[in-house]
Amino acid sequence: MTARAWLRLVIVGGRISYRALFNWTSPLMYIPTLLVSPLLGTLFFAYLGRYAGGRDDTFYVLGNGLLAVAGPCVFGGMMALANERRYQTLGAVLGTPAPRGAILVGRAVPYVGNGLFTAVVVTTLAALMLRVSIRIADVPGLLLAALAAAASCTAFGLALGAIGMRVRDVWVISNTVWVSLWLVSGANVARSALPDWLEVVGGLLPISHGIDAARAIAGGSPAAGLIAREVALGAAWAAIATLLFRTFERSGRRHAALDRG
Amino acid sequence: MPRRLVRIWLLQVKQMSRSSFEMMGAVLLPLLFATLAFYVLRAGTHPHALLGASIGAGLMGTWSTVLFGAGSAIDHQRWQGTLELIVAAPTPLIVVLLSLTLATTTVGIYSLVATMTWGAILFGVPLDLVHPAAFLVAIPATIVALATLGLLMASTFIVLRNANALANTGEFPIWLLSGVLVPVALLPTWVQPVSSLLAPTWGVRALREAALGGSPWRAIGACVLCAAVQLALAAVALRRVERRARDRATLALT
Repeated sequence: MTARAWLRLVIVGGRISYRALFNWTSPLMYIPTLLVSPLLGTLFFAYLGRYAGGRDDTFYVLGNGLLAVAGPCVFGGMMALANERRYQTLGAVLGTPAPRGAILVGRAVPYVGNGLFTAVVVTTLAALMLRVSIRIADVPGLLLAALAAAASCTAFGLALGAIGMRVRDVWVISNTVWVSLWLVSGANVARSALPDWLEVVGGLLPISHGIDAARAIAGGSPAAGLIAREVALGAAWAAIATLLFRTFERSGRRHAALDRG
Repeated sequence: MPRRLVRIWLLQVKQMSRSSFEMMGAVLLPLLFATLAFYVLRAGTHPHALLGASIGAGLMGTWSTVLFGAGSAIDHQRWQGTLELIVAAPTPLIVVLLSLTLATTTVGIYSLVATMTWGAILFGVPLDLVHPAAFLVAIPATIVALATLGLLMASTFIVLRNANALANTGEFPIWLLSGVLVPVALLPTWVQPVSSLLAPTWGVRALREAALGGSPWRAIGACVLCAAVQLALAAVALRRVERRARDRATLALT
């Protein structure tokens, strides 16, 4: 396959799959689910923080602003694969000779952009509402941290989606992970305050290093290492997603169970 | 009518008990909410608020179960092609939906018990209730408050394609407005009148005052009164929404 055809598959295929498989594309769904809900979540935890008297609003705005990428990226990445099965189209997709790498990359790109957009909107609105000031000089670094978090979350979402090619109700897993991230990602509780094993779990899931990076940037500390760690984690999850995708594709073909609902 | 209410309730409880999604939501999420609340509050200067956090986290779980239960119940009926049959049946739609919502709150009661037990075992939160009798009365009052609010929201789900997904957005507003973890007094002044119109706000206050001290009976009375208003509003909204969906032939919308 030529590079141009590969790129076409990524762009056109990615666009079509995003429109077809992402449940929340209409403004009526997108705005409340991906923007309003995480914004209210940020306010909820900021007020809880005020009541608890521990951390200041900046801690919650940066943590939950970045955590907002998990909505479009984890759930989106998952829908990008698992919904094919729900709509009985997985067989048709896997029946084509299209390179699987291009299929996965094409599906990931819209969600990474979506996640970045969500993080920017939620962080900006939450900062304005809670009067948290973010230095202009920190914005490029924060964007980079959000981009890294969005990429690793999408890779993680694709891994869940690949599991959805085999498991009937993958939403059980994604919803549990989603709420677990509120706890273990460090968005609302410093990871150092958690038991050791939970701290380790948080470090293996996406976003946590991105959140640490955002806070380091806002605090004037170097964050390149933390962003690199988030990118490396994303690469690892992408490798796991590819492996699971290939494994479940093979076993689905062998057992004629690709579209079994 | 009560027999139908009980039968539909029982059928829904059975269906939910066989759904891994519903069970995960009911069993695991309240414990995660409770753990999160404990760590945030323990990190701060309000460790005495941990019993309140146990109760609040339980109610967070109950509300999530009600919200997703109501959303997914309608989605499931639509996907199974049974929504039109339910609407066409002589049993009033509100009876069916009330039963479905009460079924989700029944599963949600577990949340409250689980988070309080979880808090006591793992975080050493004492279960010393100041007014135990009032606490026992406040539980069903709060459950009914959450169920009727869920019913009010469920009426709008009938005209939406992805009701289950939109249910996501209903969690935080009610957690915030009803003061499950953060006292309503700490919210902006303009929000507080809105909070006082919601039955769960009074339910939360009743449970907190019964557990931590105060005068819970007045809050229980306000909770029941607001729940009755919510039920009446849900009945009106449901009639309108049902009529609209039948007029436009959008019941089977998927």
